[in-house]
Amino acid sequence: MDVHSKEFISSNTPELKCEFGALSRSDGSVLFSEGESVIMASIYGPVEATFNKIVIDKASVDCYYRPKAGVPGVQDRLRESVIRNICEIAVAISLYPRTAVLVNVQEMQNRGQLISCAINAVSLACLDSGIDMKFVFGAVSCFLSNNGELSCIPSINEDTVKAMLVFVFNNTTGGIIASHTEGCFSIEQYKIALEMCRKESRNVFKFIKTSLLAADKL
Amino acid sequence: MAEEYKSLHPLKYYRDYFAHDIRPDGREFADYRPVIVNVGSISTADGSAIAKVGKTTVICGVKAELCRPRPECPNKGFLVPNLELSPLCSSKFKSGPPGEEAQVLTQLIADVIENSRCINLEELCLLKDKLAWCLYADLVCLDYDGSLLDACIVALMACLRSVTLPHIDYDPALDVKQTNLQERRHIAVHSMPLACTLAIFDDKILLTDPTVEEENLSSGSVTVVINGDELCSVHKPGGSILSEDQLLDCIGKSQARAKSLQELINSAVNAANKMG
Repeated sequence: MDVHSKEFISSNTPELKCEFGALSRSDGSVLFSEGESVIMASIYGPVEATFNKIVIDKASVDCYYRPKAGVPGVQDRLRESVIRNICEIAVAISLYPRTAVLVNVQEMQNRGQLISCAINAVSLACLDSGIDMKFVFGAVSCFLSNNGELSCIPSINEDTVKAMLVFVFNNTTGGIIASHTEGCFSIEQYKIALEMCRKESRNVFKFIKTSLLAADKL
Repeated sequence: MAEEYKSLHPLKYYRDYFAHDIRPDGREFADYRPVIVNVGSISTADGSAIAKVGKTTVICGVKAELCRPRPECPNKGFLVPNLELSPLCSSKFKSGPPGEEAQVLTQLIADVIENSRCINLEELCLLKDKLAWCLYADLVCLDYDGSLLDACIVALMACLRSVTLPHIDYDPALDVKQTNLQERRHIAVHSMPLACTLAIFDDKILLTDPTVEEENLSSGSVTVVINGDELCSVHKPGGSILSEDQLLDCIGKSQARAKSLQELINSAVNAANKMG
């Protein structure tokens, strides 16, 4: 089931596309692209937890991030920990005590907004798997150029990007679940970026809803 | 009595204190623990420092080696941070290869160095494509009592300020290096990023500089790294959902903290320079 976000695309937001059920073995999987970045995410869960991972009052969440080439490094551990922390708060893990939820993320293509792309892919994969969630989460990346301009589209020339800011919002209250930044910026720029990303997150949630409707999942 | 209560109902124990706007160690929500910095503690290293934030203790040593720059960036040297969380500092850690927490923190420290541009890697290059300095910044946690990243960054920055490198005479034609150990020079530290960790307790109370118990019971954390007038990282890895005002409140609190830490490092480094 292919879904495009053409109808709400404006010139300064990345195009979103997704395909549900790309993998047959996992409980939920999605092939997701945000602009030129592509991520494949899959969810297994709740499944039996290994002995040392069992938590008696909730499910344990494990995230595995695989880079495009080579073995996962220290940088990927940081991404795993961010995605895992977000899933722990968004998925109703107290409903599944003594089990494990496995989140697998495979990087397919990186054009800047890799982290927000991975988080959105995991959000869609969770919805595809039908696991109970407290809310839906959506991530937006925003790029600050050297001349102080903010944009949701990464510049083709990496040298002109001064900072990248990623925000993750929930769809119920619009609260901030996570914030991740790279590069230097002022507080004023941070505030503007936050407001811009919050506005943009509505498009992400709209896209998630239309894709689920189109895939007959709602 | 209070001790038993604390071990049986830790969450309620903390909540009862917080209901009276005070923390079990006598601090208010926005108070910090005392910070101690000692510079030049390891004489065999090219630069070193110990930082104590409350009971959290981190020692940092920099060892310099000569190496060849990478072909992708032939005019850059290296600065490689590595954090070791040994079983010594907490029962949480086992010996062996670095665990997840150590790897995540190492990456955060590396990100702070890169984002703040506190060290210009091009200045560590001695001759393009031939010779450059590789600085290994090894951080070892001796006592783990919360806000580890804050202590790591203080130790690292104080340590980098104290690093001296020997003068190198290099003849590219003959590939001969001569090291003059007597003539040592400080490296240029262009900015001083400083981290401030806040724990979120019960989704609303913001605890500055949390202890390890407060971190374990809290529902999330935010780390803000301030670099002079700019921000160099706002890291909130999931956890409790914050409103925009709360997040900006965290940033405001961190700015005051960064200023006092900066003065502290400056005076510690100046005192060490006068002595040495």
